[in-house]
Amino acid sequence: MRMLQILLAAPLEGHGWGMPHDASLDGWRIDDLINETSAFVILLFAIMVAWMLWAAVRHGERHPARFDHGTSRRSIAVALSIAAAIFFVVDGHLFLNSIVVWKQVFGNFAWAEAQPGAVRIEINAHQWAWVARYAGADGKFGTQDDIVTLNDIVVPQGLPVLFQVASIDVIHSFNIPNMRMKIDAVPGMINRVWFTAKETGQFDIGCAQHCGANHYKMRGTLTVLPREEWERWAGVASANSARAYDPEDKDAQWAWDWEKHARI
Amino acid sequence: MQAAAHAEYENLQPIHPEPTSFLRRYVLSTDHKVIAKQFLWSGLLFLFVGGTLAMMIRWQWAYPGRPVPLLGPLFLGDQGGAIGPATYMTVFTMHGLIMIFFAITPVLIGAFGNYCIPLMIGARDMAFPFLNMMSFWTFAVSLVLVICSFFGQLGAAGAGWTTYPPLSTNIGTPGSGQTFMVAAIFVTGVSTIMGGINYVTTVIRHRAPGMTYMRMPMTVWGLWLTAILNVLFVPVLGSAALLLLLDRVFGTQFFIAGATAVRGGGDPILFQHLFWIFGHPEVYILILPAWGIVSDVLSFFSRKPANWYRGSVYAMCTVTALSAVVYGHHMFMTGMNPLLGQGFMLLTLIISVPAELLFLNWLRTIWQGSIRKDAPMLFALGMVFVFGMGGLTGLYLGATAPDIYLHDTMFVVGHFHLTMAAASFLGSMSAIYFWFPKMFGRRMNATLSKTHFWWSAVFITLVFTGQLISGYAGQNRRLYNPFEYNFLKHLLPLNRWTSFAAFTLMAGQLVFVYNFIHSVFAGEKAEMNPWQVGTLEWSIPSPPPHHNYDVIPTVVRGPHEFADPRVRERLGRDWIGQAEPLLDQTPGTSAPAAAAGRA
Repeated sequence: MRMLQILLAAPLEGHGWGMPHDASLDGWRIDDLINETSAFVILLFAIMVAWMLWAAVRHGERHPARFDHGTSRRSIAVALSIAAAIFFVVDGHLFLNSIVVWKQVFGNFAWAEAQPGAVRIEINAHQWAWVARYAGADGKFGTQDDIVTLNDIVVPQGLPVLFQVASIDVIHSFNIPNMRMKIDAVPGMINRVWFTAKETGQFDIGCAQHCGANHYKMRGTLTVLPREEWERWAGVASANSARAYDPEDKDAQWAWDWEKHARI
Repeated sequence: MQAAAHAEYENLQPIHPEPTSFLRRYVLSTDHKVIAKQFLWSGLLFLFVGGTLAMMIRWQWAYPGRPVPLLGPLFLGDQGGAIGPATYMTVFTMHGLIMIFFAITPVLIGAFGNYCIPLMIGARDMAFPFLNMMSFWTFAVSLVLVICSFFGQLGAAGAGWTTYPPLSTNIGTPGSGQTFMVAAIFVTGVSTIMGGINYVTTVIRHRAPGMTYMRMPMTVWGLWLTAILNVLFVPVLGSAALLLLLDRVFGTQFFIAGATAVRGGGDPILFQHLFWIFGHPEVYILILPAWGIVSDVLSFFSRKPANWYRGSVYAMCTVTALSAVVYGHHMFMTGMNPLLGQGFMLLTLIISVPAELLFLNWLRTIWQGSIRKDAPMLFALGMVFVFGMGGLTGLYLGATAPDIYLHDTMFVVGHFHLTMAAASFLGSMSAIYFWFPKMFGRRMNATLSKTHFWWSAVFITLVFTGQLISGYAGQNRRLYNPFEYNFLKHLLPLNRWTSFAAFTLMAGQLVFVYNFIHSVFAGEKAEMNPWQVGTLEWSIPSPPPHHNYDVIPTVVRGPHEFADPRVRERLGRDWIGQAEPLLDQTPGTSAPAAAAGRA
């Protein structure tokens, strides 16, 4: 009975076995590509299984085997054509779409940077937490009014949010499944990634790369607020940070100049 | 002329007397058949160890933090029988490393490489028998290091099977367990290279007269290509392991870099390049032998020639070559240049073309056959089934856009378990059931064998399908307790069902253990050629004598000559041996049938 309930719930997004709810503006590009590929793949697999079942049932021991090495020109041409057709349709679909969405969206940092109001956040990961730094009111990183948060990232709805991601100890991976976003945080280099939130709400931030015993607890919260509310939050947080600034606390003063042209 | 040429072959491989002392016969043996059994027993033993570790992971995902039944009181007494987060990471690390380097590799490559290559190409032994012995005993040293790792201070290795630094350096995993394991990888790499050199040379130099490359059984092709990959790429892994050992033991900083906490001038990504330049060929190293074995078995038990033999050979060669240039798809999320990512994506997707040709050949081999559903055939069909799933799910991961979401999820875990674990396992089992009569001179119980197949095939598919689904739903891999995340809480029932399938799968292996051990000692005696196939090893007694062939055979045809009407007419059977002359090859037989056959 339980099994039945689970099976029935399966196709429901966020309740069954579907992908987690997509709260980003561009996540559908990935979801559609995955689901379209699934349609092809399930069809191919079904044909393969049907073929094997048919052969196993109908071409059993009593069926006389045909003496055929499959080396006729026609037979080879058929095999090559099928392989080429699958390659150009299924693989080609994946390849071209991946290039297009990467170029237009997920790798298009120039466009995202150029949007008015785009939010810039530096992430410094360590075992086992995400430290986030916003430039604050003055728009410069590494100053007294920087907003610094732990495992708590607040972003506005509908504006591009750009991250530059680094790590101080081991490799982590900055992962927000609901935003279809992921990038490794690697010590010694700065990676970047961006998304636009479509909906307000709270979402999990996770670590996708094994980073030690408490890897599973490297969890943060992403809060998406309506734009005005976020601006209010940012103003208050920046003022608070400036007030609480402690010049003695060197560990808290990590920051880097926002790199317009990070490695990727 | 021909006699003189044949004498050359005999001179190249003289018959050595069989050693008489126990030590030289069974322990420090240079006989490839004995070494194969040594690899088989140790591989199966560690397969059991790796499987037990897998059960602990599955338990943790079904009942997070609850005491493990049976195993908990035995191994985790100090933690109240439950798996803690620090123990958990050693469990999945050791599971991965043991399965890959100390279970699949010795069974598929160590055991069947050693056993099949000389016998199937008509050789009396490997080209370098002493090196072969060294290969096993070096491997034994690495097994000792693995066992040491379990008793290491601060626990066994815990940085994941991929051993990414800086986590795998003293920054992330201090303690001798990790050091022992990196050393074990290095030592087993030395063993693999010794074996690889031996296999490559043996196939080139010791093929019997007439055994051209295009008459070699597919099994030999698979094992040979595997050996070539091993010789080329295991040294890269060895160098990475050595540099990592230097970082751990001597304080160098090849792979250490950092902003504030751990200053260092090295590059953690360099390790990933070195690791995956080996690591991607490695997945083909683990599957090529199974492809070869399955290609042969499907033809043998369909009683039909393998469809487009040359096509399969070319496809496997193409995959071998491509395997070296696709490794970057493991690193799409490391901040790789998008153009480089696109290049790796294209090369990765191109692999699907030879893979499709291989599948088409398998499907057309069984089509219009006369299929005998013996255990080796069932396992071969099962392998095609799970590899179909595993191969198709690889498509998503080879493309840069879907990988953003799927990277490092359980979808990846399901994909590579279907290919490397399920397909390799079913392929190995096909090989074990197929060559068992030759290895041990006895037969395994057919009913138990088929029971083992259905049990294993059904539950192995369920386990890894469960992983695919949970990954699609967003569950990340290597999480001690995935249900800490809000968006994964509802996946507990799915994980629990998957775990039940895994436990059932493991329990079903008892059928195999009983059948295998019972049959080794008390199975029904096997005749020379119980499966009625034509490859060379079935033309000598079971088990073969120490020197394999009294006279080195002269090969006259390919390995899959089934259902030939001329053979049926002359010999009244549907198969013919590779070294068995017929009609035109035998001078002086001018029977009308022969003339008709020629015409």
